[in-house]
Amino acid sequence: MPTAFVDILTDNFGEFSSGFWVTVRLVVVAFAIAMVVGTLIGAFRVAPNKWLQRAGGLYVEFFRNIPLLVLLILLFYGLRDKNGPGIPITGFVAGVLGLGLYTAAYIAEALRSGVFSVSKGQIEASLSLGFSYTETMRRIILPQAFRTVISPIGSLIIAMIKNSAVIGVALALDDLLKVGRTIQSRNFQTFETFFWAGVGYLILTGLVTVVIRQLENRYAIKR
Amino acid sequence: MRSTHWRMLFAALAAMSLALFVAACGDDEETTTGASGSQTTATTEPAEEAKKFEAGTTLGDIQKKGEITIGVKFDVPPFGFKNTSSGEVEGFDIDMGKAVAEALGVKPKFIEAISDNRIPFLEKGTADLILSTMTINEERVGQIAFSDPYFIAKGRILVKKDNADVTGIDTLSGKTVCTALGSTYEATLKSQAPDAKLKLVDSYSECLELLQNDTVEAISTDDVILTGMIIQTGDELKLVGDQLTQEPYGAGIKLGETEFVDFVNETFTKVKEDGRYKASFDKWVGKFTGEEAEPPSISVDEAVELVKQNGK
Repeated sequence: MPTAFVDILTDNFGEFSSGFWVTVRLVVVAFAIAMVVGTLIGAFRVAPNKWLQRAGGLYVEFFRNIPLLVLLILLFYGLRDKNGPGIPITGFVAGVLGLGLYTAAYIAEALRSGVFSVSKGQIEASLSLGFSYTETMRRIILPQAFRTVISPIGSLIIAMIKNSAVIGVALALDDLLKVGRTIQSRNFQTFETFFWAGVGYLILTGLVTVVIRQLENRYAIKR
Repeated sequence: MRSTHWRMLFAALAAMSLALFVAACGDDEETTTGASGSQTTATTEPAEEAKKFEAGTTLGDIQKKGEITIGVKFDVPPFGFKNTSSGEVEGFDIDMGKAVAEALGVKPKFIEAISDNRIPFLEKGTADLILSTMTINEERVGQIAFSDPYFIAKGRILVKKDNADVTGIDTLSGKTVCTALGSTYEATLKSQAPDAKLKLVDSYSECLELLQNDTVEAISTDDVILTGMIIQTGDELKLVGDQLTQEPYGAGIKLGETEFVDFVNETFTKVKEDGRYKASFDKWVGKFTGEEAEPPSISVDEAVELVKQNGK
């Protein structure tokens, strides 16, 4: 590799790694939010109660149909607006909330399709054996649903990591891409600098891909 | 039957996207020429006969094209900003750009150049000339050519009016300060206020937004830009502390274009002498600050020395 490339990384290693960790923290917290909220909304979507189904549907349609960038700006600049709500939300919190709630809508849909892939006969059998609806879900249906949707959820997590790159530039937060912007503004070595930012994201998505493969090999339902 | 329906639907969609694509391209063409603006400055005499340059030289090519592309700020009153009612860009930098275009006998086309992309714009030929509140400093002199300074701004700190904590550069420790990516203030703040937390963003309008919503406590940049913000927000903000730096603004030109640089210098000298400088200064700066126009008369080298004194 030409030395110019290596120099960019070594000269700015401190900044690159601090940006990398900001991105890691963003992604981990957003993932937690996305899984918890996504499972909840997914459960709403398949609940027997019509109103719960509608509430879940509304959530999914809202968060899936507005651009992530708009959502982030709304959560940060919108909530902080002194003439509006005036809530002192930080860029980090707005970022993880936006990314988490946005991804949750997709997770909910993936889980819903997972639940529908389990044959209806199993639900009927479970109910007739005396399990309650909640128990049926928790013990019979959801474990199978999760196993079916491991790989779609893996794709969603990878998409989420990539989507996280929007946060830094939009909300003035020093994540991996934004740190790259700052370094580039000093050295004008655009290609080299963003190359390393790209490598940072590849490391993250690569790790997730490996974990997902392992989970698939162990748990996924082979058909 | 069914398959023909699908085929028709597909054909319709394809036609629609093609139409949209063509429309989008046409639209783009429209806006770029539209940005050139029709009015000229409120200047005195009609354009004297423009000096002709040989074909093949940069200035000759610009004259042949009949248009000079000038990179300016679109969000930095009072130097370069979009007038929200007319949609035209206006300001002191714009007036200087119009004067250069007029002297060449061509139309000015103003494009947006933020602090971070203006030097690449010159290197890649996206813009022929940059007039975007750009300080002449040693690092940049190696990358692009500069005209003689046409304005000397002073570095200051801007805070909200009710802020009693920040009174100058030495009270910034632990505070978050905003400035633009690629501006000289990153280095100034790092050396003069090493314990301040820096927030570097694309544009000063973003800094203003962040100051107003309390994400940052201060903005540091040139006094004229900060004055523009005070005017824009209707007196909610104030300047604090002493002058941090002196920032001589120069017009940026691609490295090696000596003829171009000389021509811009000649034009600026004329503008300074015939009253156009004063008229523009009074209109954009003096009216708000009460200052008298003082056109700088130093060279690029002297400007570099002046900037070196900053922070000492």
